Order: sequence, then structure tokens, then C-alpha cells
Amino acid sequence: MNRSNVFIAWSMKMGSPPGFFNWSTKWCFFIGLLSFLVLTVGLFWGIFYAPTDYKQGDVYRIIFMHVPAAILSQSILLLMASFGFILIVWRAKIAGMFVRAAAPVGASFTLLALLSGSIWGHPTWGTWWVWDARLTSTLLLFFIYTAIIGLYSSTDNKITADRSISLLSIVGIAIIPIIKKSVDWWQTLHQPSTFSLTSSPSMSYEMYLPLAICVVGFYLLFIYILLLRLRVEILYRERDTSWVKDYLNQRIG
Amino acid sequence: MTNKSPGVLDWILLITKRDLLISSKRSASYITPVAFFLIIVSLFPLAFGPEQKQLSSMASNIIWIAALLSSLLAIEGIFNNDFNDGTLEQIIMSGEPLFLLVIAKVFCHWLIAGAPIVVSSLLAGIFLYFSFENTLVLLFSLTLGSLLFSLLGAFGGALSLGKSPVLSTIIVLPFSIPVLILGTSCFNASINQQDYIVYLLYLGSLVAIGLPGLSVAIATSIKINYE
Repeated sequence: MNRSNVFIAWSMKMGSPPGFFNWSTKWCFFIGLLSFLVLTVGLFWGIFYAPTDYKQGDVYRIIFMHVPAAILSQSILLLMASFGFILIVWRAKIAGMFVRAAAPVGASFTLLALLSGSIWGHPTWGTWWVWDARLTSTLLLFFIYTAIIGLYSSTDNKITADRSISLLSIVGIAIIPIIKKSVDWWQTLHQPSTFSLTSSPSMSYEMYLPLAICVVGFYLLFIYILLLRLRVEILYRERDTSWVKDYLNQRIG
Repeated sequence: MTNKSPGVLDWILLITKRDLLISSKRSASYITPVAFFLIIVSLFPLAFGPEQKQLSSMASNIIWIAALLSSLLAIEGIFNNDFNDGTLEQIIMSGEPLFLLVIAKVFCHWLIAGAPIVVSSLLAGIFLYFSFENTLVLLFSLTLGSLLFSLLGAFGGALSLGKSPVLSTIIVLPFSIPVLILGTSCFNASINQQDYIVYLLYLGSLVAIGLPGLSVAIATSIKINYE
């Protein structure tokens, strides 16, 4: 068997709901455990051992949650758009379930980034909210997630709903650079952004390393949550098939 | 010659004629957005007090917000009637490239609901004490902006065919915000005697990207609803 045949066989297995479900049974537990370990190491290192910031004191330690959440909030939409493209072009049923399962997780991470940023901003900037480029674009991102979830939940036919939210997330990904740019132009006319995440003092190695570990840990956590949601979604969508009935009979006994 | 099957141009002409005819018989379709626009514009002086200085500083924001809101009001008229009476299905069945027909429909919708707002912004300019040059800048930027609002509205309307109109509003609003920011920036720049051409160029480039990109997206989302 040559290489391309192996790939086709693999993608056929992954593309079918029971194939993916069986594969994820093993990996789900493993990824969950790994994310727990990595997050434990990263967060403990960050909160208890990383040096205190000379300007902000211990307040800055919320960064170990804030930055990973903010990174995930954008990359989840990117992932949804990629799977949405796969769904619309190649009609892989499982890709639609990915998009559907990822949307609420993305919205939660965006909300987490906004809330933790707010909590961080209160002691350091003296305000809960600034109409800064980053904050505004993240808020818009949250609105896009809301639109995606709203569109899904108001469509009765799940296949149509999957395709509609795939299309919306593809258009949503096109709008992200425009959002960021436009808010930059907007800022040049009003007050320049006084505080920005990008202009914070460059980090020392002892802070950067636990942050990187936390980012990896949060990615793993996202994959774990996504797999769990996906498994439930597969069981629900395929509830009339015999393999789901067999599986549930086995589980319940 | 007479038995020749209609080509894409015939379809575009047919759709344009039909949409304009229907709208001209149904006066609410072009009067409502304008009336809504002018009412919102006149609400602001009543709420904030009629001082000329304060009003001029907020004027562009008022007009753009009013234009955005009245374009949201008109979303339902783009596809929903055609969806309910089956015309949309016939348009898909024509077999012509759907995105071209979509462009024709969106352009008609802009003529009916967008262009009157652009014209009546002249009146709004008098309400809010603009100079002639500022009014001209507003006219240009609002033309480009209302084209984008029509395109975005058509996208929201196509995604939420046969569903509640509130849903299309939620879809369209986040995407409209960059247009709103650029439009108000353009006008504020012209009031403060700064370079406003750059914002017009950005708006124009958004139209140039949005027209092909969004019309394909609109066509795809209409097809999704019929699969």
C-alpha cells in the first residue's frame, strides 16, 4: 500500500462518524490527561514561581490565563472557517459537526479573554474598559460568535444549519483583518491607544516559558473540550443508526 | 431567433425590471427607509439639545448610524418575498451563474432602499448645519457605505431566509462596524480639514472586495437553503 492510499483510508475513517467516534474514544482521555498535566505545570510555574513584575507586581499573573484565551479566541474561528471550507467544498459531514461543536467553545474563550482583560485592566489601567483597538476587535469577534450560534440554533434542518454557519465563519475570518485595521485608523483620529498589550515591556525568560506552556495547555484543553462536544454531537445526530444503539446498549448494559 | 433560450443578460434585465416594478407599486418599500432615516436623524437634536456646535461634532456619527439602522430595516425586503412566493427557486433553476443574478438583485435593492437615503442625507445635512464641501464628502462616502450595507444586508438576509428578521440584524451588525468606523472617520477628517481621500479609497476598496466576495457568499447561502 503506498502513501496516498494510506492517507485516503485514514481520511475515509476519520470522515465517517462511527470511525471518528471510535478513534476519539482512546485519544479523548489521553488528550484530557495531557492538558491537565501541562496546565498544572504551566499555571503552578506561572503563579507561584515566575518572578514578580517590577511595574505591575503580582497582578500581571492573570496573563497566564488571559493571553492563551485571547490567542484561542481567534484561532478557533480560523479552525471553524477551515472546517467550514471542507464542509462546503467536499461535503464531509464530520466537518460540519466540528464547526458546530467549536462555536460555543470559541465564544466562551473570547468571553474569558474579555473578562480576564477587564479584571487585569482595573488595577493597572484604572478602568474596566477602554475603546482600544485590541479590546474592540475582540468584542466584535464575540459578536460574530454570537451571530454564528444564533444562526445555528434558529435553523431546524441541521445540515442546512451546518453549512450556513460554515459560510458565516468563512466570511467572519475575512472580516478579522479589516476589523483590526479599521479600528487602527479610527484610533488615529481619536486619542491614540494609551495602553496596548503589544507595547508591554518585553518579557524575561522566566515569565515567557510558563506562558508558552500555558498556551500549549489551553490548546490541549480546547481540543479535549471539542472532542467531548463532538462525541455528544455525533451520538445525537446518529441516534437512529444501529451502531449508536449498540454502543449505548453496551454502555448502559 | 424567437426560440432562442434566454441568456444571463436577459435574466439580469428581467430581474431588474421585475424588482423595480414591484417596488414602484409598493410605495412602502422606498418610503419607509427614508422616513426612518430622517426620523432617527431628527431624534438626536431633540435628545441632545439643538446647540449647533455640539451637533456638528456628532453629525457624521448620527447620519451614519441612522443610515445603518435604516438599511437593517430594509434587509427583509431583499430576498424574503421572493423566497416565500417561489421566485427565488425559479431564479436558481435558471441555471445561470447565481452570483451575477444576485448582484442584479442587490443593486435593485440599493436603488430602492439605499440611494434614497443617500439623497435624503442632503436634507439631513441641512438639519445638522453642514458646509457644502462636507456635504459633498458625506454624499460620496455614504454612497459607497450604503452599497456595502446593501451587500452585507443581502448576505444576512440570504443566511436567514424564512427566519426572524432579528437574526439577520445580529449577523449583519458586526460586519457593518468597520464600514461605520471608516465612514465616520472620513467625515470627521473632512470637518477637521484633514486628508479624507484616504478613507474614501479604503471604502472603495472594501466595495471592490465585497462586491465579488459577498455576491459569491450570498449565492452560496441561497443555494444552501434549497439543498
